[in-house]
Amino acid sequence: MELSWNRKDLLCLYDLSAEEITFILDTAAEFKKVSERRVKKVPALRGKTVVNFFVEPSTRTRVSFELAEQRLSADIVNMAADSSSLRKGETLLDTVKNIEALQVDLIVMRHSAPGAQDFIARHVRCGVINAGDGAHSHPTQALLDLFTIREKKGSFKGLKVTILGDILHSRVARGDLWGLLKLGAEVTLCGPATLVPREFESIGVRVCHDLRSGLENADVVNLLRIQHERQTAGFFPSTGEYAKFFGLNMETVKYLKPDALIMHPGPINRDVELASALADGPQSVILEQVTNGLAVRMAVLFLVAGCVR
Amino acid sequence: MTAIKEIAGAAEVRSAIAGIARAIAADQAVTSGDGEFALVGLYKQGVPLAERIKRELEEHTSLRPVLGELDISMYRDDVGLRSALPLISETRMPFPMENARVILVDDVLSTGRTIRAALDALTDYGRPGLIRLAVLVDRCNPEYPIRADYVGLTCSEDPARKVVVEFAETDGADRIYSAEWRRTFDRRK
Repeated sequence: MELSWNRKDLLCLYDLSAEEITFILDTAAEFKKVSERRVKKVPALRGKTVVNFFVEPSTRTRVSFELAEQRLSADIVNMAADSSSLRKGETLLDTVKNIEALQVDLIVMRHSAPGAQDFIARHVRCGVINAGDGAHSHPTQALLDLFTIREKKGSFKGLKVTILGDILHSRVARGDLWGLLKLGAEVTLCGPATLVPREFESIGVRVCHDLRSGLENADVVNLLRIQHERQTAGFFPSTGEYAKFFGLNMETVKYLKPDALIMHPGPINRDVELASALADGPQSVILEQVTNGLAVRMAVLFLVAGCVR
Repeated sequence: MTAIKEIAGAAEVRSAIAGIARAIAADQAVTSGDGEFALVGLYKQGVPLAERIKRELEEHTSLRPVLGELDISMYRDDVGLRSALPLISETRMPFPMENARVILVDDVLSTGRTIRAALDALTDYGRPGLIRLAVLVDRCNPEYPIRADYVGLTCSEDPARKVVVEFAETDGADRIYSAEWRRTFDRRK
């Protein structure tokens, strides 16, 4: 039986099989070429309406989704929390039901509460794409990371991937984890003990609180942004001290394999988690991640829209 | 399930392909002019067919067409009407479309909907000088006003059945037959 796609929602890579993840990546490879053509647009979602419902603010993810939707010829509406009736006390489900009543086909949603999209998807006919739910998951970010790794390294079997930084608060880390594990990579989580809980070991990853052993022989390092507001919450003494013990710089980069990829979901804090010269250096694929994000989101929108009845 | 019904065997398929190549070679608007001369096969079975036509042309004429491959998934007009989505195949258009003389190649011409989508897809790569259509089998039941320029053979199979083309390269032998639509295939009618 030939493989096919039949999900109307994309909520978390945890739900998908390795074959389904590969299916999305293969589809994204074709959509990447659309953006390289003179006519950067296909009629795949002509006549479909997509609502970008960002209850939690976002710029880069929203712009990437918006552009992906436009390149698929969908009609789009953007909604932010402060302009929605959530402010007036309407429940989330009522707001979404009102959106759906306008004959919308897809809702791309970001929310600060983990599981919000999962809850919504079970109550609506239209498709739901999770654009980030709290610290839980951000599947299109995970897919663009996987796409970028696969494009550069070919395969995931036995690939050593280190995720470095604030794992505790990161939906990027959790999203990547499931995808990487399902595709056969060896994952190490590294960072200060306050931000990298040992509990992650139970799902089959290595947890490491020492930078050198966390980076040694890694094929890929995915850095997470260190948010200044975490400092005041006491997770680490200062960003300066964080940079000293866990920053990737010209010295610590030597622990990695010479051809290792340096990834970052952005926005970068230059010279905090990542040395400026490395961010712009030959190992960095940070801007390619952004380009691939567009392709991956086009693929996800296309596949999910094809299964909305 | 009703048995498979043979429409053409290996010898007939071979001579049908040779016939298409002869018709192309005799079409002066296609064989001469500026711009690239290309055969663009539509996935899935148009791709091996385009290769076969190219081989015929190279054996018997001085024509040297470039090969392209086109998947029209992003241009279909039935998004949301199919039960599940197949994987998109790789589109390759390794020639400048501007002013090109393009022959679209597909195994079966049925309703014309696939070709409608293919025309949209092709013209997104540029402005070809001319587009023609070559098919191995014309089912003679168009729903859109689209006809083929070069036809291997025609058949008037019941539209409720599907016509399948197989090639030696990928399926073991050249043949054309009709069969019931698989029950899993969500054909809307």
